[in-house]
Amino acid sequence: MRNKWVSGLLGVLAALLIGAFIMLLQGFNPLDVYAALFQFSLGGLSPLATTAKNAVPLVLTGLSASIAFASGPVNLGQPGQFLMGALFATVGGLYIHLPPVLEVAVLVLLAMLGGALWAGLAALLRMLFNMSEFIVTLMLNMIADFFTAWAIAGPFMDKSAYSPMTPQIDPAGWLPSIGNFNTTILFMIAAVGVCWFVFNRWKAGYEWRLSGQNSLFARLGGCNIDRNFVSVMLFTGALAGLAGGLLVMAGPHRFLKGLGANYAWDGVMIAIVANNGLIATLLYGFFFSAIQTGALGMELITAVPSEISQVLQAVLVLVIVASREALNVILDRREARRRAKERAA
Amino acid sequence: MRLLVGLINGMIAGATPILLAALGGAFTYYAGIFNIAMEGMMLAGAFGAVVGSYFLHSWVLGIVLSIAFALVLALIFILFSVVLHTDEFVTGIALNLFAVGATTYLMRQTFNVKGVFANEGIIPIPRLDIPLIEQIPFLGEVLSGQNLMVYIAVIAVIAVNFLIFRTRFGMRLRAAGYNAACLDSSGVSTARMRTAALLLCAVLCGLAGAFLSLGYVTLFAENMSAGRGWISLAAIILVSGNPTGIAVISLLFGFSDGLGLLLQDYRVPSQFTSMVPYVATLIALYFYSVKERKRKA
Repeated sequence: MRNKWVSGLLGVLAALLIGAFIMLLQGFNPLDVYAALFQFSLGGLSPLATTAKNAVPLVLTGLSASIAFASGPVNLGQPGQFLMGALFATVGGLYIHLPPVLEVAVLVLLAMLGGALWAGLAALLRMLFNMSEFIVTLMLNMIADFFTAWAIAGPFMDKSAYSPMTPQIDPAGWLPSIGNFNTTILFMIAAVGVCWFVFNRWKAGYEWRLSGQNSLFARLGGCNIDRNFVSVMLFTGALAGLAGGLLVMAGPHRFLKGLGANYAWDGVMIAIVANNGLIATLLYGFFFSAIQTGALGMELITAVPSEISQVLQAVLVLVIVASREALNVILDRREARRRAKERAA
Repeated sequence: MRLLVGLINGMIAGATPILLAALGGAFTYYAGIFNIAMEGMMLAGAFGAVVGSYFLHSWVLGIVLSIAFALVLALIFILFSVVLHTDEFVTGIALNLFAVGATTYLMRQTFNVKGVFANEGIIPIPRLDIPLIEQIPFLGEVLSGQNLMVYIAVIAVIAVNFLIFRTRFGMRLRAAGYNAACLDSSGVSTARMRTAALLLCAVLCGLAGAFLSLGYVTLFAENMSAGRGWISLAAIILVSGNPTGIAVISLLFGFSDGLGLLLQDYRVPSQFTSMVPYVATLIALYFYSVKERKRKA
């Protein structure tokens, strides 16, 4: 447990140093850049609220990837499931008109349904034809991308807009803000809680974890591997879909062109950095959101383009993972040496 | 006839980047590396090609720089997965992200534009007219006048085939994937073979990228590889890495690409025609799975 914290913090520090080095090469003062970056993401209540709001899609897609990877299925389809969830919620918001609380509940369920259906398609192909979900989900991402692009430029397009987008959804489905904080954050916290409970306290979650660690052992122990596979795909698809739906309901209240582009691979990235841990996913999701949110503000007062955040993120992923593995190797060696010494004594 | 020529030329243009990247991936496939960084290498190559062609006023230097950019990614891959033993899947995904981030950032930084950089100063890779053959009706229109990179891709298929199956280097490469411990104990370093495979892969992915930004179109756009690296990975898996098989599969994907363009003339929305290659990949995967199941049964 302690190792996780040590390697995580070491990795973050090392990555920030490498990022500073890249900025120095480009002729920027890294201290100024970092100060601006974290000023605009963590310095004060209002930036903090924006960071938390932006963390919602990151954490939810991250949870989706974490749970999938920890349970076996290589679900790389978060971008597609995210888009389908967003589309389902948007279309629901356009045609279903209910009182506020009910409307929100219906739209959230629709978003989860959209994501789950798209993930379920991959699960179905796996069950029926044994097609690897790894490539299938990747291809479905592309297909969802074009499909939603068609939907918002064709049947659901706002005729008065200049670029492809849908009209705004029913205001009853808008998620309100309490002070600076948007209520999507509550959904995120609830989702983390539910995921943790299901994954760590429920029989289903126990079977998922078992299948993820040793599929053969799980099968011999009486788990229904196929059923678990499908349920994990549906569950993680619903999480990614929820992320898409919440984004629409909190932010632009409509499906804009390029809505999911910023979150495309972030879920998988965060799951990898967090080593599929649920709490770690929440923390890293928040941290990555801080970088993304801060970069936009930083661009205003420094000459550094906000795209540096993408470079920084990739460096973070590589360095955190590498330092974790390197630390494991060092600890294993030390352990081996200690045992050898004990045996010799 | 015109339609057919257009379809075939569209097929060739669509197949070339996938073919080149997949041939690169074949090296790593045989060397036993789960390499999913083709997408990023291709993107880095495409960016390098535009930088070289625009600033150095030469498509040759553009190609050189595209290979150099792809090699940088390969070196990072080698550092992390071969030297530090991080997970290959994780390294690959991080590298793909890095390629998207770095090229977007550098495009903004060097050209001061967002989204797309198109300029008349970018010199494309020329088309090659082959004397005599270009006189032949129909065949001349297909065999001659293609982009130089298309001919390089054809040569690459033969060269990769020869290198992997007919040379000592190729045998050791396959041994690295087949039984690494055995290769190591016979005095050949597996790590070195994998390094070589990754470098070769980067060279070919760089060429694929150069074709994208200096041949297929003459511009650089954010994330312009658009999943072609993933399709090439699918192609490799579908034929278990065989270079000739990769060529056939790439042509099939290229055909679906050309078909998509053709369908646009029949009032099919462009978003659906753009889906065709990805749907084709799913269909190919279906036939592969059915075949696998029969083989096992």
